[in-house]
Amino acid sequence: MTTVPETLSTNTTGSSALGRIRALTAAETRLLLRNRTAVVNSVLAPLLLVAVTWVLGVTGTQASGLVVTAIGITLVLTTYSNLVSTFVARREEFVLQRMRTGELTDGEILLGSAVPTLMVSLVQIAVVAVGAVVIGDWTAPVDVVLPVLATIGGAALMVLLAAVSTAFTRTAESAQITTMPFVVATTVLSGLYLPLTAFPEAIASAARFLPLTPVVELTRLGLAGQAWDGTAVDTAGAWAQSPLPLTVLAGWVVIGAALARRMFRWAPRR
Amino acid sequence: MSTADPTDRGHAVEVVDLHRRYGSFEAVRGVSFQVQQGEVLALLGVNGAGKTSVLEVVEGLARADRGSVRILGADPVTERARVRPHLGVLLQSSGLPGDLTVGETLHTWARTLTRPRPVAEALAQVKLSSRAHIRVRSLSGGERRRLDLALALLGRPRVVVLDEPTTGLDPQSRRTVWELVQSQVAGGCAVVLTTHHLEEAERLADRIAVMRAGRIVLTGTQAEIAATQPATIHFTLDDGALPLPPLPAVEVITGPPRVKLHTGALQPTLAALLAWSAERGIDLIGLDARPASLEQAFLAVADSPAGGPSPCRRLTAPTSRSS
Repeated sequence: MTTVPETLSTNTTGSSALGRIRALTAAETRLLLRNRTAVVNSVLAPLLLVAVTWVLGVTGTQASGLVVTAIGITLVLTTYSNLVSTFVARREEFVLQRMRTGELTDGEILLGSAVPTLMVSLVQIAVVAVGAVVIGDWTAPVDVVLPVLATIGGAALMVLLAAVSTAFTRTAESAQITTMPFVVATTVLSGLYLPLTAFPEAIASAARFLPLTPVVELTRLGLAGQAWDGTAVDTAGAWAQSPLPLTVLAGWVVIGAALARRMFRWAPRR
Repeated sequence: MSTADPTDRGHAVEVVDLHRRYGSFEAVRGVSFQVQQGEVLALLGVNGAGKTSVLEVVEGLARADRGSVRILGADPVTERARVRPHLGVLLQSSGLPGDLTVGETLHTWARTLTRPRPVAEALAQVKLSSRAHIRVRSLSGGERRRLDLALALLGRPRVVVLDEPTTGLDPQSRRTVWELVQSQVAGGCAVVLTTHHLEEAERLADRIAVMRAGRIVLTGTQAEIAATQPATIHFTLDDGALPLPPLPAVEVITGPPRVKLHTGALQPTLAALLAWSAERGIDLIGLDARPASLEQAFLAVADSPAGGPSPCRRLTAPTSRSS
């Protein structure tokens, strides 16, 4: 708008966004690895899921079903829940506010802080996938693009919703309570534990518009070749079923981004 | 030193009619000031006067509700990417992850900056070279604050904002901070700082602005601000019954034998007093004459009731004082 004072235009090569995020990610990863409990827990949890499934003797378990479950549970319990605690803890310790005084942008700070949790989530899903192949019957997925899209979109959505949830979470400890409604509602009503067809029609239809449901739908379509109402589909059928869940997921990402931008606070309330 | 020419484009920091409100509470009610390169402005005021609220806008962490802030000519919020490489900020409350070492903390921050200074140099500046491998959680309060300052200065900023840089520091750490700030200023930095230590303002600041209830109520050099309060003359007379001579513009606080006078014109009063005593052969025992201190001036305005509107006394030139 106004003329750029030459004092500002000189000698600014600019640090790159990627470089800044990598710097932050490296530090955050180092912090995570120094927290032994967190490391052990994040590996134990998925192993436990596999072990329980195996011990319960669900022989003939469809491996793809277990992976779908793992993706849904991991996104909610690891990505979303852990990030709410992480963001709140960093906010209350004034770490976020301090990071905002530099050249990092707001988005870079959130993303950089989230990357280690996202990597843990990915590892957990991978552990279950390997376990599932070992103990269950693995059938080639109908389509891989849809599950990958669902996982990436779902992860982005969890980061955004975690940022939103910090607005009504005062301390890292209280995150366990403030995240509960979302965790319960999304896992129960996403077709993760119970197929949506087990619910009355009205509830089932409404549940398809909840944040996690499209992720579960899309991964199940691709990995298990199963539509939300349980009917078997091939690749073409999977894609034919995908526009609604893809739109719902994209819609939630847009809503989540708008809410996060509006509600996220960088410093403790005074 | 002298008041800035409003047409001068060289302001490193320019704040014009800044307003900020939280709900119905107006925390900042029309604050204006400028800082040049190589100059230090100290914002003084009791807690809640609005100092941090002003600084948050200067830092680009909050938007002004009215008025404008320019850092090196650019808006710190809307032109953040242009301003930030030149801005160093030390927050009043600042956090660092406890499980990184001092060196890792600085290295990480350096990688996010455009023109970072070498980490070894930054460590030496704040006398933490021997602590590079210590985890941040093991540092003392003073060491932590010095690390905070090293981070604020790591990008070779040309404008530095320091919110209570030495609160809670031991004298030695405080001295380290002062020397570092002075070296930055000598290198051409513009500095805005807040402090509760008047000694710190006297030591570092070229100009001082005293805030009360969201407004700047007094601004000028240290001497100009002190001169808003009367000078004090003390002496004792042997003969308690002796009437004092007529002294123009003098307020007698206590009369003989232990005399305490307030005067707005120290030198003429003192001259008249000395002439009188010489003429009569009177001893002014323990004669003590001193101008008001910054502290006196500060206490006179900073803590008075916040209610009514108070005119901002803008001191343009020390010579304008009537004699």
